[in-house]
Amino acid sequence: MCRGFHGCARNKSPFPRWDEKVRVMKTKFSLRLIIFAILWLGLGVLHLEGKLDPRLLGPAGAFTLLMAAGAVLERVTRYRGDPFILPTVEAIVSVGVVFLARIRPDLALHQLWWAMAGLVLYYLLLWGLRDYRRLGNLQYFWGLAAVGLLVVTLLFGVTSGGATSWLRLGPFTVEPEELVKVALLLFLASYLGEHETLLRVGTVQIGRMSVPDVRTLGPFLLMAAFSLGLLAAQKSLGTALVFYALFVLLLYAVTDRALYLGVSIPVFLLTGWLGYTLFGHVRVRVEAWLNPWRDIAGGGYQIAQSLFAIAGGGVLGTGLGNGIAAFQVPAVSTDFIFAAIAEELGFVGAMAVICLFLIVVLRAFSISMKTSDHFGQILAAGIGILIGTESLVILTGVTKLLPLTGIPLPWISYGGSSMLVHFLLLGLLSRISQAESKNSLAEAKGREYAT
Amino acid sequence: MMHGLRRVALGLAFSFLTLGLGLVYWQVVRSQVLLENPANRRLIVLEQRIERGGIFDRNGEILAQTVLKAGQKVRVYPKGAEFEPAVGYATLLHGSAGLEGALADWLLGMRNETLTQQVRRIFQLPRRGDDVVLTLDGKLQQIAYDGLQGKAGAAVAIDPRNGQVLALASRPSFDPNDLDRNWPAIVSQSGSPLSNHAFSLFPPGSTFKVVTSLDLFRAGLNTSQLYDCTGQTIIDGQYIPEQNHEAHGWVNYNLALADSCNTYFATFANQAGPASFLAAAKAFGFGQKIPLELDVPMSRLTNQAALPAKLPESLLPSSAFGQGQVMVSPFHMALITACIADHGVMMKPHLVDRVLAPGGQVVYTAPTEPWLQVMSKEEADKITSAMITAVNEGTAAPGALPGVQVAAKTGSAEPGGNVPTHAWYIAFAPADKPTIAVAVLVQNGGTGGGAAAPIARRLIEAALSESR
Repeated sequence: MCRGFHGCARNKSPFPRWDEKVRVMKTKFSLRLIIFAILWLGLGVLHLEGKLDPRLLGPAGAFTLLMAAGAVLERVTRYRGDPFILPTVEAIVSVGVVFLARIRPDLALHQLWWAMAGLVLYYLLLWGLRDYRRLGNLQYFWGLAAVGLLVVTLLFGVTSGGATSWLRLGPFTVEPEELVKVALLLFLASYLGEHETLLRVGTVQIGRMSVPDVRTLGPFLLMAAFSLGLLAAQKSLGTALVFYALFVLLLYAVTDRALYLGVSIPVFLLTGWLGYTLFGHVRVRVEAWLNPWRDIAGGGYQIAQSLFAIAGGGVLGTGLGNGIAAFQVPAVSTDFIFAAIAEELGFVGAMAVICLFLIVVLRAFSISMKTSDHFGQILAAGIGILIGTESLVILTGVTKLLPLTGIPLPWISYGGSSMLVHFLLLGLLSRISQAESKNSLAEAKGREYAT
Repeated sequence: MMHGLRRVALGLAFSFLTLGLGLVYWQVVRSQVLLENPANRRLIVLEQRIERGGIFDRNGEILAQTVLKAGQKVRVYPKGAEFEPAVGYATLLHGSAGLEGALADWLLGMRNETLTQQVRRIFQLPRRGDDVVLTLDGKLQQIAYDGLQGKAGAAVAIDPRNGQVLALASRPSFDPNDLDRNWPAIVSQSGSPLSNHAFSLFPPGSTFKVVTSLDLFRAGLNTSQLYDCTGQTIIDGQYIPEQNHEAHGWVNYNLALADSCNTYFATFANQAGPASFLAAAKAFGFGQKIPLELDVPMSRLTNQAALPAKLPESLLPSSAFGQGQVMVSPFHMALITACIADHGVMMKPHLVDRVLAPGGQVVYTAPTEPWLQVMSKEEADKITSAMITAVNEGTAAPGALPGVQVAAKTGSAEPGGNVPTHAWYIAFAPADKPTIAVAVLVQNGGTGGGAAAPIARRLIEAALSESR
């Protein structure tokens, strides 16, 4: 008689559960409506201004249908993972598409296809990945894959914008460091899960502190040194910074030991100082950060133009399509896209976009905290830390809070590799949350039988 | 693990908050400062999207207009050099100057936007700025400009009743049409055609005696007391000569001003003391920014831009007749003249009469308001009476007109060095009910009566023949 959760619940007390279901459905539906409004109102305003490329309409429609179909399928397959994380990301993607349509319609066209591919990848992971825990069994494969990808990039990569971070594969150029993020996260999650206790408690006594022995900490340090060294060799400073933050914050989050933070900050400062004194390209960036106005036509050009655009937005913005960032700021379709957003949507709109990212990051942590499986817990936290540091590094860069190190803003900056990889991470995140909700269902069922 | 996780989550949330504060800093606190950075091309880019409004004189003559030539917006100035540099220019390459720069917010429709302009801005439709109608009178402007032909200098005409600037001519000038192409030739020209000579500072010479007059009245001078001018005098060891060492004999105040007697003003100003002199100059607007739409540098009493707290006594005798370190702009001199004409009230000067939205509705009308209450009617009338004497039987006679009583004062200011003096002439008419006040300066033109008076006379003649 009682088959599955709903049946049982209805037997026990049908009305609150039913209301709950309607509420969740309504929430999901209205969230999707907001996203469609962002996308189509944005495109509509561009159309009014005569700036909309009509070629975009087809793919934008397809993207909308795909998002709607996904929502319906989630309903049909009774998805009970985190209900907010995908809609939030879809909203971010929509904002990105609208701004690319305003800045470079040809790129927006590609971006829409990448977003659709990303969404498909997301749902493939959500429904196709039976047991994500098995990914954790391949710990050393992920580690080797991460380092291998970086070595290949360094050897055969194409240099662009000062950094050697692209590989040419037929008609595509891919950015392997995006894939490295996935491999590294999987490696870290399984490694830290396995060695958590030893890393926390430590086995070797130095003075009053007990630290883990070399056999425990070795692979971690080796991995960190290799990947960061290779990235520095590629002059990919932004990604190196993100990885460093990922290593340190994840280690701290897993072990709760402030010691790791205490060691890594001086190491970071020392490395930064060494980089500043040894390498010209680091010095140029730091100087452009300290005083972009001094060499406004040279080293400070990018950041000055970005700040002119952002400052011009004021509180309410110039309005979509009215800004100057779209043709004044360099790399505005990739690294500097936030300058255009902050200009045309103003402080209000920029803050809204920042809040969307904050929601994604905090939902990742919330999934991590709710998950009972240790590998999933660390993986979810790692994904949260990764997305958080990525967006912080580029956003503080374009607003001159920190020296600029160009990396794409997840889901917004133009780029296929970044889009696919971030949807992949999102898929893993939802998969973890769904598995957990199934676990808790099983537990709930167990308890019910017990009563 | 929960503990560390929570801390990292909090840390990230806090970082996002800091990012938001960073945005506040750039978008609210520093927004205006960055907008004014010369490397910021925002205003230039925004301007390109807007059709600048036109500039017209008080009779509706076009002074500046944007027309379409082969799909390109071109700014044309039908009157050419005549209204420069007052009207100024606006180009992408060289920015803007003059009224084109000062009135940019009106001309670009960015000030007091009408509803239509707002909607058009929000939806980025083609926009037009407001039209500005000036108080300048094309006929007077032409007379002033033609009068300065072949000379360097400035001529300013003001309606003393309301502060409307009727003419604002400066030589040498330049043709603002096709400026980007002609720019190198213009900047290499001698005599600085880009700067408005009506706003440049010159020693005022004897015209300044009208200011010193107020000082003497306030110090209690008996205007009928006689003074024996011997052609020179020595005050506190300073040798004060008359022009050409001419001895004026026994003079009262009226005759001293009419004959432009330096020693009279030097002697009595010295008796009155520096504080009284400073107060009189302050009353006439020295040390204050002239509230005109264009930027007029402040006139000076010493080599410092700001007024001294106490004028050095050694400067006083020569300052009394407009030498020493006194520097006044022709525009300020015209205002002083207008103030005497208006019985001691200095009206707030203005160049903009009204502003019209693209639809034709008036969005701004310049108010008529006093700027300074300089002196009493009695004091002003005493100066006027002396200026009438100057025209009827003194140095200002070349400015006299048949049938109309003109009140005037000449000046021949020594700029220093072995060069001809700057010729000044300030005048207003009709003396009993003035409708125009003028100040004319011809740089190194010789005597005021010879070089400057004819220009002033023609200006007054033309202004009075028009019934305004």
